[in-house]
Amino acid sequence: MTTEADFTLTPGEERGVPVVTVGGEVDLATAPRLAEHLEGLGESGATTVVVDLTEVRFVDSTALGVLVAAMKRLRAGGGDLRLVVTEPHLAKVFSITGLDDVFAIYPTTADAVSA
Amino acid sequence: MSSPAPAGPAPGEGEDEAGGTVELSFPVRPDLVFLARMTGTAVASRAGFGIDQVEDLRLAIDELCLTVTGGGEDGRRRLRLSFEWGDHAIRVHGRLEAPAGDGATPAATPETEIEATSTELSERILDALVDEHGSEHVDGVTRAWMVVRRRHRP
Repeated sequence: MTTEADFTLTPGEERGVPVVTVGGEVDLATAPRLAEHLEGLGESGATTVVVDLTEVRFVDSTALGVLVAAMKRLRAGGGDLRLVVTEPHLAKVFSITGLDDVFAIYPTTADAVSA
Repeated sequence: MSSPAPAGPAPGEGEDEAGGTVELSFPVRPDLVFLARMTGTAVASRAGFGIDQVEDLRLAIDELCLTVTGGGEDGRRRLRLSFEWGDHAIRVHGRLEAPAGDGATPAATPETEIEATSTELSERILDALVDEHGSEHVDGVTRAWMVVRRRHRP
């Protein structure tokens, strides 16, 4: 299936901060994989997580819901979910939903990690 | 230095003036929703929409599908979409079809916090991206529709 093939999730770490690099299309079919990974990071003790969306071409409300839920969980534990967004159309989705005021959004992974 | 956006057709360029209708039907499965987005992209191209608005339409169609299906999976039911274009606009209608003899389907309601958040965000996305949209649940059938008019560059 095109959608599954287009979705990528690459776990990493920079300066002790988990960095999740996501690519392709994050929608109803693929968002559960992102949700599962973020839940796993929380359960393993991570407080702050960076999600790099630079290579994402499409997100829908399902994907945004997953990110909001992860952000709430991490903030409740004193941490945060930081996003890296550079693609204008993706930035527009965060803007029209008002989530650009809710998430900490950075232009690079390095900025997000060191914030 | 930033590079210029890729050149694409200007809105209206290559428009199929006669208009038309395309119908798409597929089982209610999350991994098939991309078919609706692909169809929307093709229809928007025929209707002469510019690249930015095609991107908006792809997202809006995805959200319309979520409105109709509730984001669930039910391979026995089918999501039927019709895409009509003409008069510089695209109208998309969606509804669930159940197998003959199946009872009415209850309206989809969010069951988890993530689903509730997604439903609220979906509404905001449609409000922002389309000119008109709505949904109804009548006699056990959920329907949703939207209208997107072609924008002109200033």
